[in-house]
Amino acid sequence: MTGAIPSIALVGNPNAGKSSLFNALTGARQKIANYPGVTVERKAGHASFADGRPISLIDLPGTYSLTPASLDEAVTRDVVLGKQAGEARPDALIVVLDAANLDNHLCFALELLALNLPTVIALNMVDLATRDGLTLDAERLSKELGVPVIPTVAVRKRGLGDLLAAVDGAIRSHRPREAAAAPANDASLHQRARALARAAILTETPVRRWTQRVDNIVLHPVAGMIILLALMFVMFQAVYAAAEAPADLLEGGIGVLQQWVVATFPDNFLRGLIVEGLLAGVGAVVVFLPQILILFLFILLLEASGYMTRAAFLMDGLMGKVGLSGRGFIPLLSSFACAVPGIMATRAIPDEKDRLTTILIAPLMTCSARLPVYALIIAAFIPNRAVGGTPVGLQGLVLFGLYLAGIVGALVVAYVLRRTVAKGSAAGFMMEMPRYQMPRWRDIALGLWQRAWIFLRRAGTIIAMTTVVLWLLLTFPQAPEGESQVEYSVAGRIASGLEVVVKPIGFNHDITLALIPAMAAREVAVSAMATANAIDAGDDEDAMAQSLGERLQGKWSLATALAFLAWFVFAPQCISTIAITRRETNGWKWPMFMVGYLFLLAYAAAGITYWTAVAFGLG
Amino acid sequence: MTALLDKSPLGARVRIARIDWNTMSDDEGRRLREFGLMEGCEVTPLHRGSIFSRDPLALTVGRMKVIIRSRQAAAIEVEPAT
Repeated sequence: MTGAIPSIALVGNPNAGKSSLFNALTGARQKIANYPGVTVERKAGHASFADGRPISLIDLPGTYSLTPASLDEAVTRDVVLGKQAGEARPDALIVVLDAANLDNHLCFALELLALNLPTVIALNMVDLATRDGLTLDAERLSKELGVPVIPTVAVRKRGLGDLLAAVDGAIRSHRPREAAAAPANDASLHQRARALARAAILTETPVRRWTQRVDNIVLHPVAGMIILLALMFVMFQAVYAAAEAPADLLEGGIGVLQQWVVATFPDNFLRGLIVEGLLAGVGAVVVFLPQILILFLFILLLEASGYMTRAAFLMDGLMGKVGLSGRGFIPLLSSFACAVPGIMATRAIPDEKDRLTTILIAPLMTCSARLPVYALIIAAFIPNRAVGGTPVGLQGLVLFGLYLAGIVGALVVAYVLRRTVAKGSAAGFMMEMPRYQMPRWRDIALGLWQRAWIFLRRAGTIIAMTTVVLWLLLTFPQAPEGESQVEYSVAGRIASGLEVVVKPIGFNHDITLALIPAMAAREVAVSAMATANAIDAGDDEDAMAQSLGERLQGKWSLATALAFLAWFVFAPQCISTIAITRRETNGWKWPMFMVGYLFLLAYAAAGITYWTAVAFGLG
Repeated sequence: MTALLDKSPLGARVRIARIDWNTMSDDEGRRLREFGLMEGCEVTPLHRGSIFSRDPLALTVGRMKVIIRSRQAAAIEVEPAT
């Protein structure tokens, strides 16, 4: 090494505990970005050798071999072969093996050893192997493979010092070996791996894992489904109940900040831009941070414990019927918080058409941005009473119905897409089921922090920019005395043009005006209506005293309100989702298709709702 | 006496006698082999589907537990393990 910081890549099978090892080695000193040109996450971090020399570590996506089956796995192959654009070939590899699953994980290790890079093997999770009744001989394995083998327990930080020392040694003493050719075919590779594993295993008690006992309940065809539904129920309850206080706090904080800016600076163009554009717009989105964090907390816990694969197993039967696979369950579940991380999570789906369909239906999952819209309209128009003598509230029932409409819509759309534009062979579903594990709070906290940061960065860039543009459209040209600024502005004029199109489905001028800024993000519809109504109220003190909901009650019919709700179940009003779809599908074709079909569905759903309601005399 | 893995009873250990690789794509076949599912290895089918369907199938291979679809299991001929 001539001065340059050595770069070391962690490679291994899925479920080898690679990410925990990476977290243990780097702590919070991580940087997440994308590999240029592809949408696979690149996780890099820093650590140092015992004498203080810095090293850089990258965590490569887990894979079974150097022949990739998905986008993630292709990156792993390209990086270790030195073919990944913008990424230097690593100076050394740490091959992570699950100590309890040697015969399988050694196959990939043998393939990696044949690459002839300085390599050290981390025999990870030896504690769990011991729990399962295995005693292993690391030295014997090291002798057989010709590279250092270090037993580690990533979550307890055991063996990390030895591991890095071995890497240092491997880099120093490395000279191009006679390339030990990897066995030519899969069968002989497996034979060799099994022989090695047998040699390394000193004692082995018959498998008696409590994982199996738990699975007998959790994967039971009926009981398992009930447990899954109960977990989902608790999760959504927590998202709405526990997020309320911190969200109110954030909202209050933004209000205080706005007041402070108003009080401190003279009334000019810039102040308006900051208070009404930037703070109002970005603030409306940041308020969802608590909900998104709570949902991600659940998702991370379910994933780290090993339950998520069981959920995918249970859901696969249903999803298979519409041409998807259980793999899509995790992205779709994330989409209930926000479609953006959900769509990013589809990268793990190996089948291209399966993945595309999952991306296209992700916006149909009711994300948290729809909640302010739903909450406002439901509170204003749906009476707060119980349904026919049961303890079930009508308002809650309507909200549940809106969620259900999205899910059913998604299943139907998937069914149709898989038989038309996303036709392909039946999606496969092949997945390894990890053992159950106690989630480590450090890993969870780190994951949550990374999600929060990605979300806030987005709010600070894309969303900030669009809200500023919308503010400008609402502010110019300046209305002459006596005319409504909102009506007179560019946005107001566009709304008048649009009204012709949406009038048949019962939308009034209020709604049309709100729909345009809501293209940036759905929740903006609420703040846009609030602004327009505030200007409308003018100096009329009675009108100003009314809440937005009360004002809408006086102006809208029930049929219009219901049509508006139906519209938002489908309408693709979110710039970020469209942008992420463009990035994940490498072009404009699919995002345009998504926007088109969702608007059509939204129009039809709102129309049918409106006409039906009018027919029942609710117009 | 052989049977197909998608029909074989849960909990009973079986040995893979033959796999019809022609019924699946190259990627699927490779992934099966990466899981260690190949001729001669012993597996135990453990869980099958949910209330929605009989798909998928969870089975143990060595110390690993994997999920496959019954379409793939139908291409795997098994015989009772000795």
